[in-house]
Amino acid sequence: MDGCHAHDTPVPYCHPMGTTASAYLTGFGRYLPGDPVDNDGIVARLGGDDPVTARIRGMILEQNGIRQRHYALDDDGEPTELNEELAVKALRAALDDRGIRPDDLRMLATATTIGDVLVPGFASMVHGRLGGGPMQLLSASGVCASSLQALDAAVSKVKLGEHPRVAVVGSELASRSLRQRRFDGIRAGMDSHFLRWMLSDGAGAVVVEFQPHPSRPSLRVDWVRHVSLAHEHDVCMRAGMDGLEPEVGRTWQDVGIGDAEASGMFVLRQDVSVLDDLAGAGLREFEQLVDIGLVDVSHLDHVVCHYSTNAFRDLAFDGLRKRIPTLDTDRWFSNLETCGNTGAASIFIALEEAWRTGRFAPGETILLAVPESGRFSFAFAHLTVVAPPDQQGAST
Amino acid sequence: MTTDTTTPAPAAAETAMTDASGAPSPAGPAALSDRLAEVWIELEERLDRVPILRALDEGTVTIDDYRRLLFNLRQQVVDGSPWISRAASNFDIDHFTLRAAAIKHAEEEHRDYLMLERDYVAIGGSLDELRAGRKNLGSEALSGYMFTYADRPNPVGLLGAMFIIEGLGAKRAAGWAARFQEVLGLADNQVHFMQYHQEADGAHTGDLEAILDSGIIDDAAADEIVRCAEVVARLYALQLEELDR
Repeated sequence: MDGCHAHDTPVPYCHPMGTTASAYLTGFGRYLPGDPVDNDGIVARLGGDDPVTARIRGMILEQNGIRQRHYALDDDGEPTELNEELAVKALRAALDDRGIRPDDLRMLATATTIGDVLVPGFASMVHGRLGGGPMQLLSASGVCASSLQALDAAVSKVKLGEHPRVAVVGSELASRSLRQRRFDGIRAGMDSHFLRWMLSDGAGAVVVEFQPHPSRPSLRVDWVRHVSLAHEHDVCMRAGMDGLEPEVGRTWQDVGIGDAEASGMFVLRQDVSVLDDLAGAGLREFEQLVDIGLVDVSHLDHVVCHYSTNAFRDLAFDGLRKRIPTLDTDRWFSNLETCGNTGAASIFIALEEAWRTGRFAPGETILLAVPESGRFSFAFAHLTVVAPPDQQGAST
Repeated sequence: MTTDTTTPAPAAAETAMTDASGAPSPAGPAALSDRLAEVWIELEERLDRVPILRALDEGTVTIDDYRRLLFNLRQQVVDGSPWISRAASNFDIDHFTLRAAAIKHAEEEHRDYLMLERDYVAIGGSLDELRAGRKNLGSEALSGYMFTYADRPNPVGLLGAMFIIEGLGAKRAAGWAARFQEVLGLADNQVHFMQYHQEADGAHTGDLEAILDSGIIDDAAADEIVRCAEVVARLYALQLEELDR
């Protein structure tokens, strides 16, 4: 006799090859350092009070629509915390939200643009500060989309059944690169002003597990996708190089540190002339997800989109609405205006707020979208809100 | 669900078993395979009533149930290879076939518990806690019985124990694995131990059948095999009934 037939419900097994688990987001946390800084409070931290800079700042702030942000800087512009501290605080918030401890984690995936130190990797430093037991690490380094690259790694390991619980954190402390001392004596064009008055600090974290939260709804991660178009685009956002072409002898590691700073290599810059191309390319990637059926526009309930400035909000919103006619502003979420652009942390900071404020209901679906200007890459994730196990079947 | 398992009518069996002379019944002793099949059917009926297996069947089983099951099984599984080895050492040269089979079997099984431990860790369990665990009431009884039995000279009856334990692996474990996967959404990496036993124990039951059919089992040995199967079936079910106790 065969055990297959010992059940009322036929069990489709006998050779269950390649079965994977699901991955659920079960805990959410964020940390934004210090009090919120409104537009008038920026100068005290970052400097730039000359009339020309003030005029440019006013123009850029008007464009990007950011009303407040957080800096890990005191009133005099001196750093108050390390990037790894922001990451750990967001992680602790996410673990508390889930009701677990660092010891319960088997993997940590971090995303940041610039860690505190050159060596070792950011994840090692965050793990060291967070504590817990032995765990696998991944330091995803890049810019904004590194957030979902880290998430992708975490989700993949959970789905493979290799780790039951993983934490993911995106963390940024950009303000150290935005302070006046970086700009003293440097010709600062729009390529640096644009970022200087846009970026700020913060961290966001999620807990990924192979089982849904036992008593609350969870977000099942249906898929994560990342694509780079660096093969057909020049560098857009950068630091540590001179110009757009990497050349031996002309990176910050080749010249003296003093020379590197003097020539403005430590200033974050963005080639603003190609940002429209970036938006267009991002929309094409989204369209492709629709065309291959990964996004079912008739069943997409929410979009949480990272964008650097409100100038791209309308572009992205209108672009998505071409394929999702029912998309309205109620189903579109961003907290750029109140939390600032925190790079790799942004998508998690936005997701945490959307989740905490009750925007999502069981059965609904969510698209996360993260364009990255660095050298043109894009990341997306698709989530479904699931009820806790004891309520499944009752509601959705 | 209930499996309709027809047991022989007691009245008919009683009248057939004995006559005035006390000689074997006219129908002759039931074949060993038939007697073992009866033990198996009774075990399956009992398993249908084991709470965790009922929950599995009904789809109400939880991840904590699966974790507990692995935890409880592990404490006895680590004894599997040792009692088979002990049995192997107690077969004399006249039972060389059985000795050889036991040695081979012990070697094949002695690392199985590692698979179980990996599954346990993969679902979030602590290896330290797992390894510090103790046997439940049923596992104590089962393990104690197996070691005691294996100490006898030529413990042929243990073929009955193999019949039950390998049978569970071959016929039930993979079904349990698939059902746990279905209900709890587990990856293959989290149910290795139960999945693996379908193939491995399938091979072992094949070896066992060959021995049972080889003609080296006399009537007395057959009685011992059946009795051992009955005890092990009951104690194995007890192990599943007494989780964590």
